[in-house]
Amino acid sequence: MRILQYILRRLLYMVPVLVGVTILVFIISHAIPGDPAKMIAGPKASRQAVENIRKSHGLDQPLPVQYLRFLSGLMKGDLGTSIRNHRPVTHDLRDFFPATLELTLASIVICLGAGIPLGIFSAISRNRLADHITRVFSVFGVSMPVFWLGLMLLLLFYRNLGWLPGSGRLDIGFSPPMQATGLYLIDSLLEGRVDKFFNVASHILLPAFCLSYVYLAIVTRIVRSSMIEVMGQDYITTARANGVAESVIVLKHAFKNSLIPTVTITGLSFGELMGGAILTETIFGWPGMGKYVVDSVNYLDFPAIMGFTLIVALVYVSINLCVDVLYAFLNPRIQY
Amino acid sequence: MKKLIWGLQVVFCLSLVWAPLVGAAGQDTLVVGVSSDIHTLDSGVSSDNYDWRQIYPCYDRLVKYKVIGGKGSTEVEPQTAESWKVSADGTVWTFKIRKGIVFDDGTPLDAAAAKFSFERTLKIGKGPADNIGAIKSMRIIDPYTLEITLKNAYGPFLQTLATNGASIINPNVMRHEKEGDLAQAWLAEHTDGSGPFKLVEWTRGQRAVLEAKPNYWGGVPKVKKAIVRFMSESADRRMALERGDIDIAENILIDQIPALEKNPDVVVNRYPSQLVEYVYINNQKSPLDNPKVRQALCYAVDYKGIIDYVLQGNGVQMRGPVPQGMWGHKGDLFQYTHDPAKAKELLKQAGFDSGLNLTLIYSERRSSWEQIATILQSNFAEIGVTLKLELMANPTLRDRVDKGDFELCLGAWSPDFADPFMFMNFWFDSNLWGLPGNRSFYKNNKVDALVRKAASVADQGQRTKLYQEAQEIIMADAPYIFLYQVQTIVPIRKNVKGYVYNPMLESMYNFESISKD
Repeated sequence: MRILQYILRRLLYMVPVLVGVTILVFIISHAIPGDPAKMIAGPKASRQAVENIRKSHGLDQPLPVQYLRFLSGLMKGDLGTSIRNHRPVTHDLRDFFPATLELTLASIVICLGAGIPLGIFSAISRNRLADHITRVFSVFGVSMPVFWLGLMLLLLFYRNLGWLPGSGRLDIGFSPPMQATGLYLIDSLLEGRVDKFFNVASHILLPAFCLSYVYLAIVTRIVRSSMIEVMGQDYITTARANGVAESVIVLKHAFKNSLIPTVTITGLSFGELMGGAILTETIFGWPGMGKYVVDSVNYLDFPAIMGFTLIVALVYVSINLCVDVLYAFLNPRIQY
Repeated sequence: MKKLIWGLQVVFCLSLVWAPLVGAAGQDTLVVGVSSDIHTLDSGVSSDNYDWRQIYPCYDRLVKYKVIGGKGSTEVEPQTAESWKVSADGTVWTFKIRKGIVFDDGTPLDAAAAKFSFERTLKIGKGPADNIGAIKSMRIIDPYTLEITLKNAYGPFLQTLATNGASIINPNVMRHEKEGDLAQAWLAEHTDGSGPFKLVEWTRGQRAVLEAKPNYWGGVPKVKKAIVRFMSESADRRMALERGDIDIAENILIDQIPALEKNPDVVVNRYPSQLVEYVYINNQKSPLDNPKVRQALCYAVDYKGIIDYVLQGNGVQMRGPVPQGMWGHKGDLFQYTHDPAKAKELLKQAGFDSGLNLTLIYSERRSSWEQIATILQSNFAEIGVTLKLELMANPTLRDRVDKGDFELCLGAWSPDFADPFMFMNFWFDSNLWGLPGNRSFYKNNKVDALVRKAASVADQGQRTKLYQEAQEIIMADAPYIFLYQVQTIVPIRKNVKGYVYNPMLESMYNFESISKD
């Protein structure tokens, strides 16, 4: 019951946080000198054309009025109309957000799916060859520029070997699946198209790996060090003295207790992956929010910038809440 | 955990098996890899060639650009207009429209449809309205005859009717109108024209699919489908072209071109474009209000060095404001050359023999600008001018140019229609100071009179004379530093035939006449 109260309280706190975010972003984005009407009117537009655009998007109103208009729209679930794309920002987000979400989720799967076993493996074979190899792999990941890695992966697996498809979410021979969730992997299965599913999966592999590599390396290192710390605890020695099998000791006793830092870092990286996928999305032609927001900033498309920031902020605080709740499950001594 | 790892491995292996099964597009599908997504599909709203790429093939216009000997030209010929005549004073144009052209729902393309489309664009009043802004009124004489009266005689009028903004829209589109928006919301995402193609899919950030109309009145397109793939990274487009996943790649970075040229499956085409790059000199700011200082700057620039280094030879130095390939260009016009001694002498005459401090602003809009800026810095240093470089966001740059808050600024320009008006009137008419076109805040009464006269005369011979006279004055006044005219590089797969480049339709493709072997 107390945990429910805690969750409710946290949800209530989210409201001022998000309003604060909108105010901050509104002020910062309007502080950039420039006029979006001049940007989209075209390079040679007359003053009249610029003025018409300014009026039609309400940009001629005083800033507080513009902000209040945004806020009142927000109450109704309306994020305004993109100045650049001439369509509701909610529609744009509905198109672009799922692509980023799918890529992020796939990256998290790779991150945890490979990072945790590697970390454990590295910890139990500490200071042996396998450990050194894993550590080199991790250092490589932390220090590799995403841009270079992405291009090299494409060059090798797409252009030279031809094993994996190039950029995009789907081959041109397939039409995009009907949008139920916007996640192509799920939507293609809902359509009953297994071939499409595998095509989507093959497309997501390289960008997801590229995006996850840095965090994969971090997770490996964190799991390794916390495992080593836990393995040195007295209760592990006790378990060993009691003749408990080594695999049970590692997976049940040590691993679960080393999970808290991993969960913390995963929660943080989820938020960062969502907001930081811009480079990966550019290289792999991934139609996500990264490129959308970069273009929006270039055109000073205020409604789009606000919508994007709001979504990322929402994801961030929600993930943080989930992480805090997870702590309680992982470690019963933590109470709210 | 083990199961998860197993699952992932299975997915990976199966993906490898499946991936190669779907190969490149077939013969009847043309795939173009481009750098930018569409913003809107409304011809009455968009001022962006990347939008026009998809809009243009879906509509017809009264006139179209002529293709002469397989090459695109800047001359126009009839499209839906069968013929036209113009009154002696050049203000009343009467168009006879071809019978038998229909929109997809069977509505005929007639005088009413053309009138509706122009009126809609003018009413919306955004960028495209500027191009056909000369229209004062329209009258339907009979269902297939439209009379257009202009505010005053306007030389480039016929040319403006070939632009994307003059596309003829099905008047029935108004059934999608919401809250008096003239169907803008609907047309932003759909097309409703009588052109050879129809947009059937637009998956944002991924692709647009245009389907050929098998009964197009102007001849059936040779491909059944044209797919435009949005791929923001140049290296990605290059690899896809090499693998044959796309047939045409746009905007490949110049340093990747030599490698593409070695690929036997790819042909790299070069075309003289009408895109120019130049430097705005703020003529109203001291000491740049002194023509001698401006001339000195023009003499200081190493034009050949810039073209060889930045463009790797893919460009030519501008000779005056009107580029080669556009009528009105003067082949024997005076041209500034790299002459630091003369530049120093001019600075001395202007009273700046001890040197000068200037600031150049630029943005990252074009990849070449960073390099040009540093070359200019070292060129100017040779004549004792210390150039400070200021890189800024593009919106900020545009704002400062509009307000005249700069000394020197890098710029690029390409014409919307094939008429020297696009250069001579936009760049030098003192009524257009700032972003609308005259970005050097130049004012010369004689030039004003000449270019305004040239715009209001219909006779091309007389207009050429007026524009060329103005060019002589301009070269002496040196309001801008004219750098170079860019070559457009279009790498295509060898089996793609019939691509026609038109400098007026930059980044656009003649999907209707391209075929694949």
